[in-house]
Amino acid sequence: MNGRVLHFYLAGINNQNFLMRDKETGSWWQQITGKAVYGPLQGAALELVLSDELTFGQWRTESPFGQVLAPVAKYTKEYDPNWEPDIAKLPVVISFPGTALKSRDVVIGLTIDGAARAYPWETFAKQSPVLDRVNGTPLLLVLGPDGKSFRVFLSRIDGHDAEFFLQSNAKAEAQTGKSSDVRKDWMLLDATTHSQWNFQGCATSGPAQGKCLARIPALKDYWFDWRNYHHQTTIYKR
Amino acid sequence: MSASSPATQQHQPPEETDRQTTGRQASRWIWTAFALCALATVALFFIPAFVIRPFRHQAPRALWLAMALRQRAPLGTLIAGLACFLFAFALWRTVGLWRKALVTLTLLVVIFSIVMARLNYFEWMFHPIASAQFVAQAESKLDPKEMIMAVRFGTDARAYPISQMAYHHVLNDVVGDVPIAVTY
Repeated sequence: MNGRVLHFYLAGINNQNFLMRDKETGSWWQQITGKAVYGPLQGAALELVLSDELTFGQWRTESPFGQVLAPVAKYTKEYDPNWEPDIAKLPVVISFPGTALKSRDVVIGLTIDGAARAYPWETFAKQSPVLDRVNGTPLLLVLGPDGKSFRVFLSRIDGHDAEFFLQSNAKAEAQTGKSSDVRKDWMLLDATTHSQWNFQGCATSGPAQGKCLARIPALKDYWFDWRNYHHQTTIYKR
Repeated sequence: MSASSPATQQHQPPEETDRQTTGRQASRWIWTAFALCALATVALFFIPAFVIRPFRHQAPRALWLAMALRQRAPLGTLIAGLACFLFAFALWRTVGLWRKALVTLTLLVVIFSIVMARLNYFEWMFHPIASAQFVAQAESKLDPKEMIMAVRFGTDARAYPISQMAYHHVLNDVVGDVPIAVTY
């Protein structure tokens, strides 16, 4: 923050989204927004770093020299291998009746120039790749070759809006639900140049070879949490 | 014989009665100050602890109050707590056994509040990673289907298994010279 390195620690909870404080100023920060909500730095916001939520299998094909956080031996019993279904069972303390989604429905949330949109995971997974437009910006949301990882891209090649579709053999297998392992023949095709694109958003063959799509930050979140911090969010429907 | 016996009061000189009245007023003032200090000390810890509870709704104003109190609690509980001890000392010789017990009990709660205002009990539930260790991906024993969060800065790529981050919640790390806070 302004050239000063801050170190954070868990400090509390705000409607099931945690609060952290920094050791340097004692300010309170909301996890989901990265904004200081109280203390000397109130109003400041941390810069969001582009990150991915992937399977380890997918990530290691992309990062052969990558490093993995090692488990802390004395806490390994605390790590819940079934964290996803177990967290989904926890009660919620805020709800938004009248919306099409349930509190614990998983969504992909993104914001383009202040306009937020939530993509219900189930809809997204069935339709992937999803082409959409938020605030005039063309987006491409893609479920990975493993059927669990996802990424969002700006759907533009050389400044021109582009359409993408999944190579037919990959799509057939994805729809049968047999894609839990990382598929090596998984490819996207763009409708304009017919180039092949990998899950990292880079063209691997065809006229666009070597080009990469710009990434769009997106968050996999529970609907109640996303909606609580994005009051004007729309929900993707198609 | 009780000092407040009407028969005794009739024979007391006026200055003695004045002294007793003044003493009672002073004692009442000290009791009030003691109670207020104790209340302040306890409130500085317990209000934030009550508001910021897991699986409970946090209203915006209540949360703001909780953060404001918690922010001031380390110094506030110390000052109010010390004042409590001073007032307790002043009261000690003037009160009977039951009131001494009350004072002692109050001081124990005060001490508890002073200590708790300095401790991060959230980290008792979810321990932080004191010194993060990393292994090369080829050496990792993670299942390929396990979900991870990943970042990349230049050629430096790091993966944070969600099963671990869902417990620790926060990790301060430096990747490619960039300081980041990984949260889940």
